[in-house]
Amino acid sequence: MRVFAVAVALTLPFCAQAQDHGPILSDTVEAHILPGFAALSDATATLTQAAQTDCAPGSPQLRAAFHKAFDDWISVSHLRFGPTEVQDRAFALAFWPDTKGFTPKALTGLIATEDTAVRSPEAFAETSIAGRGFFALEQMLYDPRFSEQGSEAYRCALVQAIAADIDGNASAINTDWASYATALTQPGGDSPYRSDDEAMQELYKALITGLEFTSDTRLGRPMGIFHRPRPSRAEARRSERSLRHVELSLAALRELAIRLSADHPGIAADLDDAFAKAITRAQSLDDPSFADVATPQGRLRVEALQQSISDIRAIASAELGPTLGISAGFNSLDGD
Amino acid sequence: MTSRRHFLAGLAAASLTPVQGWASVGAPDYLAAALFPDGTYRLAGLETGGDIVFSLPLPARGHAAAAHPKRAQAVAFARRPGTFAIVIDCTTGTEIARLEAPVGRHFYGHGIFSLDGTRLFTTENDYEAGEGVIGIWDADDHTRLGEFSSGGIGPHDMRLMPDGQTLVIANGGIETHPETGRTKLNLPVMQPRLSYVDLSGSVLEQVELPRALQKNSIRHLAMRQDGLVGFAMQWQGDKTQHPPLLGLHRRGETPRLLSAAETDQSSLQGYAGSIAFAGDGETIAITCPRGNALHQYSIANETLAHAYHLEDVCGLGSGPDGFVFTTGTGIVGQLSGKQARVAARPDCQWDNHLIPIRTTV
Repeated sequence: MRVFAVAVALTLPFCAQAQDHGPILSDTVEAHILPGFAALSDATATLTQAAQTDCAPGSPQLRAAFHKAFDDWISVSHLRFGPTEVQDRAFALAFWPDTKGFTPKALTGLIATEDTAVRSPEAFAETSIAGRGFFALEQMLYDPRFSEQGSEAYRCALVQAIAADIDGNASAINTDWASYATALTQPGGDSPYRSDDEAMQELYKALITGLEFTSDTRLGRPMGIFHRPRPSRAEARRSERSLRHVELSLAALRELAIRLSADHPGIAADLDDAFAKAITRAQSLDDPSFADVATPQGRLRVEALQQSISDIRAIASAELGPTLGISAGFNSLDGD
Repeated sequence: MTSRRHFLAGLAAASLTPVQGWASVGAPDYLAAALFPDGTYRLAGLETGGDIVFSLPLPARGHAAAAHPKRAQAVAFARRPGTFAIVIDCTTGTEIARLEAPVGRHFYGHGIFSLDGTRLFTTENDYEAGEGVIGIWDADDHTRLGEFSSGGIGPHDMRLMPDGQTLVIANGGIETHPETGRTKLNLPVMQPRLSYVDLSGSVLEQVELPRALQKNSIRHLAMRQDGLVGFAMQWQGDKTQHPPLLGLHRRGETPRLLSAAETDQSSLQGYAGSIAFAGDGETIAITCPRGNALHQYSIANETLAHAYHLEDVCGLGSGPDGFVFTTGTGIVGQLSGKQARVAARPDCQWDNHLIPIRTTV
């Protein structure tokens, strides 16, 4: 047996050279994160008021408020850490994908039993997470199967309860960000981040997972495989928001990417170019709910968009990641 | 406790004797997949001292393997969502057969032979239904005999209980679909569980964690010869929380969860990769490649006995005198007492697991 009696060296993982990330952290928090969650909270307040004023699914004011608030959520939905993760707030705002149809089941259950939870925000927050949030509201407003289930009075109360619950979560996230902003910009002490590097890595991860989600899930689910596209799996297809979500998320991720690469103008320019190409491609699609993936031509166009997002991901991991001390461990990044 | 200690040590020693068919290939102690220096993915037979006694090419990145209890044969699984597994004759290095997952299924990367070596069981995803299944294969002619429910979603690792009649399955709870890559589709409603099923698929016992740990995915398993099951977890919830990543379970009882002090626990980034009992059965360890740590616990005290800092450590198995581990940086090492030492540096990037070659009782 061949054994070297050598103590295992206490090797530290690769660390980036000490850099002052303070300005980038402050800028990202103050110009990207806080305004995003403040806008969302304002929009959900308007949404819940609109539902109180007129809860009819066809109400133009209610639908407009729904679209505005949903827009504002998608624009911050890549920031999945800290306040969004407390008590599953982000999942309560957006339960998607819904692979097993839990949302319609939850709504049908509430309506069929006339569940009194709709009368109290606390009780409603305890109901199934699948029957809450933007996707539940979308089905109440746009899916014909819910336009006649149960009584009109109960459907109205349910729409109002979902809107109020959305507003409760959005405003709680916004409130918590006031203190979490300090934790992210001033690591150490009580902060969950021990250093600037760790705080930067959190933001970098938000960029990477945001790109991944838009590419693999927002586009990947409706694309399916070539011989079996799945247009009915597109995100928010009932309100024809599928493509809009891709555009909004790319715009938000572009803004984040440019801020994170502020110290490296070359990388910032590469990322900006790659985002510009992807966004141009998305804007040229003219297929709001990805219904065209059912045709070979339509599917190819979405595939090209997906490829252009892969290009952004490649630049981010090859150029931006290493500047932040992100090393690709063989097992540590495997996730199995 | 002396008598119990000797009893356990005796069992462990017996279990580490390689079985006869394997002697013809140089009697390796473990199988492990790796990326070799020449850029090829291979399955290697490893000695505890770190010598590679054989290595065979794989068509893609491997994950785990199953060693036949009698013949020098191994089934190597591709990393999920792979749709093939390769049956390899380890005496000749040739592929004997290729198991193709049926339409609508993919492998999760783990499998296990029955005690008599006539059946192979594989963890699989019925991805249209989003449900876990266990595939049953004839280990002689490599045909598929059938399948049954794994008792949950996302079955990953699986072990045969010492009775030879019961499988324990780590249903990680996470739904994925090959069309969306490795995207986790059901985190808000995931429900991991440890499922005990008999070999015909009847569910005997379902073990779930407390509600606050509903996002703690049970992924990997270790079996002590008296039926004590160790399970390693991967936290999918709020990253500011640092829940236990190691559990112990005995049939019919409530699981016990083991955790280090907050400063140690928080460094693990909520991720354990492999788990094994020590050779003497007195301690159990998990490897944590994201935290670059190996945590060894005393089973009697349920406390952390020692924490080792080891970069990208993942593969872990019982050693003659403690544990054997591998790292993604190329090390094969041994732990005994409170010492870690490098046994060899074959310059391979070792993949997640070390699969012991031994009889199951």
